[in-house]
Amino acid sequence: MAKMGLDAHDNGLRIVSKWLADAGYEVIYAGVYNSAERILRMVIEENADAVGISFLGGEHLHYSRKLLDLFRENDLKDVKLIAGGIIPPADVITMKDFGVNAVFTPGTPRGEILKHVAACLSVSERVPS
Amino acid sequence: MAEDPKIEFDHAKGEKIPHFRSLSGIEYKRIYDREDWDGELPDGGEYPFTRGIHEDMYRGRLWTRRQQSGFGSPEESNDLLKYLLRVGQTGINIDSDIAGKIGVDPDYPLAQADVGLQGTSMCTYEDMAALFKDIPLDRISSTLIFPPPASVVMMGQYMMMAKAEGIPRESLIGTMMNCPFTQLVGPTFQANTHFFPIDLALKIGLDLMEYLIPRCPKWNILNVNSRNIRESGVDAVQEAAFSLALGSDFVDRLCKRGLDIDRFARRIGFFSAVHLDIFEEVAKFRAMRRIWARQMKERFGARDPKSMWFRCAVQTSSLTLTAQEPMNNIVRAAVQTLTAILSGVQSVHTTSYDEAYCLPSEKTHKLAIRTQQIIAYETGATKSVDPLGGSYLVEKMTDELEERIWELMKVIDGRGGFVECFKEGWVEGELNSARYKLADQMESAELPIIGMNLFRDEETAPDIEIFRQAPDMQAKRIQYARDYKKGGNRESARIALKNLYERTRSHADEDLVVPMLEAVEARATLQEVCDAMREATGFSIPG
Repeated sequence: MAKMGLDAHDNGLRIVSKWLADAGYEVIYAGVYNSAERILRMVIEENADAVGISFLGGEHLHYSRKLLDLFRENDLKDVKLIAGGIIPPADVITMKDFGVNAVFTPGTPRGEILKHVAACLSVSERVPS
Repeated sequence: MAEDPKIEFDHAKGEKIPHFRSLSGIEYKRIYDREDWDGELPDGGEYPFTRGIHEDMYRGRLWTRRQQSGFGSPEESNDLLKYLLRVGQTGINIDSDIAGKIGVDPDYPLAQADVGLQGTSMCTYEDMAALFKDIPLDRISSTLIFPPPASVVMMGQYMMMAKAEGIPRESLIGTMMNCPFTQLVGPTFQANTHFFPIDLALKIGLDLMEYLIPRCPKWNILNVNSRNIRESGVDAVQEAAFSLALGSDFVDRLCKRGLDIDRFARRIGFFSAVHLDIFEEVAKFRAMRRIWARQMKERFGARDPKSMWFRCAVQTSSLTLTAQEPMNNIVRAAVQTLTAILSGVQSVHTTSYDEAYCLPSEKTHKLAIRTQQIIAYETGATKSVDPLGGSYLVEKMTDELEERIWELMKVIDGRGGFVECFKEGWVEGELNSARYKLADQMESAELPIIGMNLFRDEETAPDIEIFRQAPDMQAKRIQYARDYKKGGNRESARIALKNLYERTRSHADEDLVVPMLEAVEARATLQEVCDAMREATGFSIPG
């Protein structure tokens, strides 16, 4: 779970991370000020199934594209990228089109997020090491 | 987890709200009467300023309409400032992008995708001059939103600009926020500690205050961002206690430097949130005025009444905005703006309804200014001082909040003050608990939010125009910063930076503002100045 770049508005990241932990997931909290390269390293080191990234300031297209490119280049195509935060409706469509697994905007109920995460991780082909 | 909001909605029985607690959890009574409050009130402008810091309040002068603004390049933001002044803004409040606040230039790799997004991209003297082009610095007050050490760089650029325009620095009016704990997403630990050593940032902030006190007598040296504290999810009592405790920590440190409280206390201000619980918020501001006045008088020995003034700018809450049905935010902001006026604050930013999605457009900025003008000129809310004073409810609530705020301030004091509480992680723990609690309250609709957890309409897509930046803005700013650092004669900048490095390395306990300003005058960029000190202290930043 990470914020990318310089935006440190982490209310959403903190809350959703706790929701996931409370639901029994192993959550690696990367916090704020991450580069795409740092997240890539963490995904490899931790053998992560999914990456959650949260935005507020308008950096969402840049960083979600960059992360997906890095996943492809590093043969991590099955790692799910899930985004959340303040993202305009048109950009939600764009992000899903280029491969972001899901985008959760403000006001999404906890149940909806957990249901989606459960569904998408259960079909993941990755085998935990 | 509540699947259904706890609301009774039965046509036969009528509609009923879910509970009668305030946002801070105080139970509202059925009715308030003389049993609850039978006290005396001071006059307006009379200690402890329950009714306002001025005798005449808005009868003498309206509050300043000060919309936080800034985006993209300094040139684009200059156009926006001129537009805002044209439609009726009366003060300037400049927000830089995050890079500007944390002391990196646009070409720094981790900054590149954020350049100009949440404020103006600024890193050179020329940027500052472009941003304030044609703005009369001695007639319009400007608030500059920078924590130290960036605050020193920006103050240096601002003073250079004034000098170039022939304006003596004694005439400059405005505020440098200058707080290293609250300017980046409230007092969250990680956000505020990863780009500069926090103790050194605090020390440099105090150096700047000491520098400005004799030299810029009309300039405000510190503003505690109580709003950012609140917006991280805490309640009104925590907001007030945290910010008043932090303000007291600064005053304490300035007094310990041997400065006379009556020479600087009047130049410290606060920037608070206004939330939606009308009477609790009014009570909060009244209680904060009383507490600050007593702190200044009794704890720090101030004699001048102006030193005891709790001067407060506000911005209506962004946390209360919803992405669902964004037009509803216009109503929320209007109620909050009215609440601010009923509370007797000194300046107001009305948050635009589209800020649930993006930076405000010119159109929504204008609507925010019009909201304030309608309240100022059409509603009559401004015509008497402290119009809610003497209401049993408001007086009782003021007393109750005051007591709770003092109690929490004592807890903070017992832990060594706010700065210590921040550094040891206590504040971080409090913020996180508050956030989780808030999320639960939103989920269960214990905190009712129309269009989000109550009366949600999934059928209609939000009707919103999104503010878009110029597509080449970031690339241009990145190139500009690169070219600037490569170009021209940079020898004097190199010498000044070397001097700043040496000074920080061996004499960090002495004043650092003067060597920083020398580097700024030699045209060093924001990051060059900050890097000299980072290198001297062996501090590395996220890359």
